[in-house]
Parts: sequence; structure tokens; C-alpha cells
Amino acid sequence: MDSAGEVLNDGKITLEGFTVAARAFADKWKRHNLSFPSWSWVPLINRTLLKKEECYLSLEKIIILSSLEGSAEEESLGVTADWWEKEESIDHTVLVQNVEDEAHYYDYHIVYSASYMVPMLYFRGYSSDGKPLSLDVIKRDLPSSSVSLLLESKWTFITQEEHPYLNRPWFKLHPCGTEEWIKLLSESSSSDGCQMPVELYLVSWFSVVGQVVGLRTPLEMLI
Amino acid sequence: MDDKRESPPTMILQFAPLNSSVDEGFWHSFSSLKLDKLGIDDSPISITGFYAPCSHPQVSNHLTLLSESLPSSSDEQSSTESTSHGNRNKCPVPGTLYNTNTVESFTKLDKQSLLKSEANKIWEDIQSGKALEDCALLSRFLVISFADLKKWSFRYWFAFPALVLDPPASLVELKPASEYFTSEEAESVSAACNEWRDSSLTTDVPFFLVSISSDDSKATIRHLKDWEACQGDHQKLLFGFYDPCHLPSNPGWPLRNYLALIRSKWNLETVWFFCYRESRGFADMSLSLVGQASITLSSDSSVPNSVGWELNKGKRAPRSISLANSMDPTRLAVSACDLNLKLMRWRALPSLDLNVLSSVKCLLLGAGTLGCQVARTLMGWGIRNITFVDYGKVAMSNPVRQSLYTFEDCVGRGEFKAVAAVKSLKQIFPAVESSGVVMAIPMPGHPISSQEEESVLGDCKRLRDLIESHDAVFLLTDTRESRWLPSLLCANANKIAINAALGFDSYMVMRHGAGPTSLTDDMQNLDMNKAGRQRLGCYFCNDVVAPQDSMTDRTLDQQCTVTRPGLAPIAGALAVELLVGVLQHPLGIYAKGDNSSSSNGGNTDESPLGILPHQIRGSVSQFSQITLLGQASNSCTACSETVVSEYREKGNSFVLEAINHPTYLEDLTGLTELKKAANSFSLDWEDDEDDDEAVDM
Repeated sequence: MDSAGEVLNDGKITLEGFTVAARAFADKWKRHNLSFPSWSWVPLINRTLLKKEECYLSLEKIIILSSLEGSAEEESLGVTADWWEKEESIDHTVLVQNVEDEAHYYDYHIVYSASYMVPMLYFRGYSSDGKPLSLDVIKRDLPSSSVSLLLESKWTFITQEEHPYLNRPWFKLHPCGTEEWIKLLSESSSSDGCQMPVELYLVSWFSVVGQVVGLRTPLEMLI
Repeated sequence: MDDKRESPPTMILQFAPLNSSVDEGFWHSFSSLKLDKLGIDDSPISITGFYAPCSHPQVSNHLTLLSESLPSSSDEQSSTESTSHGNRNKCPVPGTLYNTNTVESFTKLDKQSLLKSEANKIWEDIQSGKALEDCALLSRFLVISFADLKKWSFRYWFAFPALVLDPPASLVELKPASEYFTSEEAESVSAACNEWRDSSLTTDVPFFLVSISSDDSKATIRHLKDWEACQGDHQKLLFGFYDPCHLPSNPGWPLRNYLALIRSKWNLETVWFFCYRESRGFADMSLSLVGQASITLSSDSSVPNSVGWELNKGKRAPRSISLANSMDPTRLAVSACDLNLKLMRWRALPSLDLNVLSSVKCLLLGAGTLGCQVARTLMGWGIRNITFVDYGKVAMSNPVRQSLYTFEDCVGRGEFKAVAAVKSLKQIFPAVESSGVVMAIPMPGHPISSQEEESVLGDCKRLRDLIESHDAVFLLTDTRESRWLPSLLCANANKIAINAALGFDSYMVMRHGAGPTSLTDDMQNLDMNKAGRQRLGCYFCNDVVAPQDSMTDRTLDQQCTVTRPGLAPIAGALAVELLVGVLQHPLGIYAKGDNSSSSNGGNTDESPLGILPHQIRGSVSQFSQITLLGQASNSCTACSETVVSEYREKGNSFVLEAINHPTYLEDLTGLTELKKAANSFSLDWEDDEDDDEAVDM
């Protein structure tokens, strides 16, 4: 289990290390975090620019229920339903649904950044009809602990950037502070100056990063 | 219809409507398809929708469109997961997209007949037996849309055609599967379902038969086409389907066409159905439902009526979505640049006020070496409102030193600089608000004839209006005298003026002080000590001669102000940094000047960017730079109270006097007196008419 070469001294990690760490992370998550679906490993094929096969971890369709805000965004599109009236009377076999709580869906991707040499968390939110959620709405879905973490910590802020593979803007936690605090984490947790084993790298990373987006890492995963 | 008196009062079977969910990626892919391939072709497009059984007790699943829903155009989906069959969360369902090219045609689409024609297809598939082979055909759907690719907004409306049973089916009973089955049956059904779902061959088959042997409670799941084989005395048969709905007392929409199929193919009056739902990826018998429906047989083989247009928040209206923020390239550029500035604030300067930068309007007098550099640096700071004033055209020697111009701008008659500069800015950052004014700045010492008077006065007015409609003015022209009128006008209107001038190997950048009358006008509420109430000087404050013609009779190199190329970028950049410093300072134009020697180490709370000097002078022959401080002079020909009042009082006639008779300004400000007094000392001055005065410094 030669992991020494893959987690670097300054808190960074190599691509190989990331791959190992990601698999370990996904396994532990599956075992210890039963209230969530498991992360899947998405390979990218047909990437003509890259020689190595690159992959990312994906956790999708996490549902957060939130009560409907009185958002009056819908313009009345001015389409009259007169054709409807002509056609038929009300169909009694259709259940009339009350528009209740709105479900918000979240997708999370953990992607390796070759330039920063650390993992990055990308995420997005959308409502049940597919409309993307703005950052303000997303922040309202976050637990208050996350929101205060965002405001106070100088290492965590959310930016909107193009997803490296899907070519659409996603939100991400900006990685420029990552190596610093991973270094701190690794120093404080190692007893005899050993480096953090690569299997735990992503788990440790996520235990901090996940909090910002409201995803808890069960303690059992950190062992 | 048999009358079973002991049966409970039957209610009409009510179905929960299916709802649509369109992933952003679908619109991105569709836009590319339309732009690259389809053009104005609006023939129907075959698409694939995806749905899966409900997986959450409080939230129904939707019929989803993803980027892979569209017929693939070569390298579009190379980075996404492989589409298709075998994915348990994406049961493919065929659909048709009718996209129109205008809003009017969208509104005028005959929705009735479109719905009818899709329903027809379902009916035909039922009659012909195709639906038994490929049961996903029962959930065929249609979408009408209008894609506005200029505004990146999409209007759409789904229909899930459902064949209407007439009279409607009635519900005899409905309960959770765990209550209906015995525990052995439940266990066996769960296992069989999980197996069905785990196999990539069957996981996306959304309609199936559940056959339970009465001997050993063992359940098997079979395809619809195996119905014959499932007949037998010792078997209970349920019609199972993936139910996207989560509600405990209603089955989901797919059951509608399923019942139509059952009635038509197998003539059953009583149908036991099984709404299959999951949780955490496994069959969930308490969420799943088992029900008994009672239907009236009909010998009519004509296609039934159909319903199924999706409601939008309870209303009969299409849905719309605007994706300009994620698709419009100009907006993407704006948010990327804004991000950069925000990072600066987060990481280095938390007190940076970005709003003042994005709203400030800058007027650049001169679009030459200095003007181009200033403009680019302004954009780097997120300043996006830039106006150029320049009379000249781009000459062949310009592009190498004037960073906004290219060779193309010089070819032929040559483009006007003010125009070319604007074009260039827009190519760099499309969201910039920039305009160019081709105009000469009236100058003292260059007398004008009476015919020219009107147009020169017109230019003066235009210049005055420009200055008054902007917040900061950069004086970047190539002569001393052309800076006089702008300096006066800025002093008059109390606008921030940043002056930059180049010598051969030296530069000067300064900010003018506040206007003279402003001290009484605006200053009451500002808390300033006596030193602060002194105005900083302007470019002309230290002069003892009025600006005059410095250009005629000079040698060529002096006329063309030849300078070392490195200077303009340095001076231009310093000019912008100086402006930003003023804008970030709480006192703005009234901020007093700092010296680099007097500062107490740089950034204070008041001035997060560091010191804010009055003047900066530097040279590349020494690679040195110093800051200077000068107070306003009461005899200044441009910003003194005398001059500004005279201008306010006499307006055009004052300007004409100054232009035609430069000694007028000297008389007015008392410089004439001053010089007489100086000359009356009997000292041997060398005639000290500095050449420096003639060169811009």
C-alpha cells in the first residue's frame, strides 16, 4: 500500500492519488452513509485532448424540500386556453393537485484540478421542472451552519465557473485555499509526522468541504 | 355491469398527472442542434424522454429531458455518461418535439390535433400489438416549443397523451402493497422486482406482469407479451408498472394507457394493478400500491378521446425558462470578469468597493498611447463606461504603441481613433459601454477666425456637456495647451481629473484638486481640518505663463512628442490606479495628498489600497519615481477662483478671449502683475524660458 508518493507534503495530491482516494471515499460513503445514495464514478471517454482516462465522482438528485416562496416569476404568457374550452369538459379522472412544497434537486461532482492539484467540489441545484436555482435560493436551502461557514471562513467561497467537462456554469467551492487547510488537517491528525494516507485524503477533504454545502461526513468514515 | 351489492361504493379512478422536468443540458444541446444543423427547419423531431419509478416518499419522479434526449449530433455528448438502455434510472420513452420558429406560430399550433395524432400512434401500437413488444410506447409524449436563440429563452409545453376510457374506470380498492400481499408474497415480489431492476436487459422495461403462484407464494415477473403463459388457475396476476407518483392514494399517469391496452387486448373487466415504487434503489412494498380497477368493456375499436396537456402551476399555460445567464456568451464574460474582481476582494482587499467601479463613467480626452493604455487598465478594474474624445485618425505608426489599434485600422483612409478605440474595446469585452467623439479640443494660443467661432464654441459646449455627464476625466492629449480648457471645465464642475503627460524618458501623473467653488458648496458636511480645506493644485497651478502655442516652430521630434515606448504603459497604468485610489477613498476628490515618505506604512482602513498621492513623477533613465504634493495657486490660469468665476459669468466670451489672447489669462489672474513685480528686481536672470515648458511635463 504505497501511498507515500501520492499525497504531497504541501496538501496537494496527484491524479493517481486522487483516483485511489476517490474509490476509497466512495466505498466508505456507501458503507457508512446509508441515508444518502452512493457516489458513482463517472469515466470520461473520448476526450481527445487527454491521454489519461479522467474520471470524477458524482452524487446526483439529492432532494431538499422547501416550502414555496411566493415567487412571482411566471409572466403570464398570454396564451389563451380557448381551444381547451371548446374541446371537452373537465376530465374528472385527473387528480387535481395542490401545488405544495417545492422539491429542489442537487447534483454534486468531485473533480480533480490538474492546475491546483487538489480536488474541487462542483454543484448545482434545480427545481423539479429543471430550472436552475440561483445561488441565493441555494443558500436558503443550506443549513445555517453552512451559511455562517461561508461568510466567516476565508477559505470557503462559492464561485460560478464553467464545469470542466459539461461546459455549463456550475457552482464550485473555490480551491485556492484547499492545500493550506489540508496541510493543517494532515499535520494535526498525524501523530508521528507521517503523512495522511492517500485513502483518507478525500474523506478528510470532504469532511470540511461537505459542511459548506450541507453534506455531513459520518465520523466512521474518518477512521 | 354486474352489480355487487356488497362491494364498497366505487369512486372514479383518479390518476396523478405526470410532470415534466427539462434539464438545462437539453436546451444547450437543442440550441446547438438548431444553430448547427436544423436552421429554420421545423419538422417534428423524435426525442427520448426518461423516467423511473418513484424513489422518494414525498416527491414524485418526472419525465425528464436531458441533453442525450435529442438525436445525437456527433461529438455533442462525448463527455456525458453513455445514454441508452440498461440504465435503471432512465427508462427511455419515445416522444416528438415540435419546435416553431416564431412565437406566433407557437401560439397558433393546433394543440388538439397534435395531441390527437400522438394518441393515435399509441392506439395503433396497442391495436397492432407493437405495444406488447415495446411497452415504453404506451408512455409516448409530445412537446411543443419555441426557442428564442437571441435571448436564450425557451417556451415549451408537454403533453402526455392518455386515452380516455368512457365511462371512466372506477377504483374498487387501493392499498399499500405491504398490506395487500402476505409477507411471503411481499418478500418474493420484492426479490423478483429487484432482480428485474438489476438486470440491464429488463431494468428499463416499465410495464410488466407479476405472476404469483398460489401454491408457494413465489412471484415471477414477465414481459407483457407473455400474458398467455401467465394464465392458469394457480396464479394471481397483477399488472405492474413503474409508477413515478409517490402519492399513497393515487396511481400515476402511465396506468391510463396501460388500462386502455388491457381492455383492448385482453377484455378484462377487473384489473389488479401494481404501482411499483422504490426507495434507496430497492423495491419498497409500503410505498408501492396494489389496486383493483373496474372497467367497462367496449367493442368500439375507434380511437378514444385523449387528454394530457400538462398544467403549469395549475394553469393551462406553457412553461418558459430563461437561460441567458448560462448560455449567453457575453453574460458569461461579464460574470467571469466580475468573479476575478470578487476574488481580489475576498482574498486581498475585503473593503474594496466594487460597485463604485462598475458605475463610474470615465471620459478619456485623447485616444493615443496614453488613452489606449488607460482604457485597457480601466477595463481590468471592471470599469465599463468609457468615452473617447479624439480628433485624429489611426496612422501607420500607431498600432505598435497604441494598444487598441491594429493594422487594419490604418489601411485606406484610416479609421478615426475615437471610433476604432470603441470597436476595439467591444471586441475585448462585449458588455462594455463605450462611445467615441471625433472632436478637437479648443486651445488657447491658437487663435481662430470669426468664421470658426461658432463651431469652436460648439465644441466648447460639447466638451462641457461631456465633462458634466461623466464622473472622471483623463487628460491624455499630447500638448500642454489642450489641457487648459478641460482643466477649467473640471474645476468648474468639480469632476475628478487625472492628468498624465510624457517627456522623452520621464512621465508625470497627477490628480487635480477639487474645484474652487466646491469648497463652499459641498463641503459643509464634510469634516475636514484646516490643512484639508486647502485644495490640491492642478496641472497649471505652478505655471507662471499662460498656456500658449507650443507646437508651431518646433522641430519635428518636438512636435511629435517622441517618447520611450515603456513610458505610456507605466503612466497610463499609474493614472488608472490613481483614479481607483480616489474612488475608494472616503473623501474622494477631496482626499488630501500623501507622500510616500510621510505615510505610516501603507494600507489604512481609510484607504485600503495604500497612499493616495497628488503627483507622481518618474523617469526610466533613472528607474526612479517620487511623489509630490502641491497646493492650488490663487493665480492659476485654469482652476483659480478668479478664472472659474469669470468663466461662469462671461461664458463664451471668456473662452474666446482666452483662446485668442493668452495674455488675457495672465492679466486676469494677476500673473502679469506678478511677473512685473519679479522683473522689477534687478537681478541678472538668464532668459530662462525653459524648453521644458514647451514640452509636456
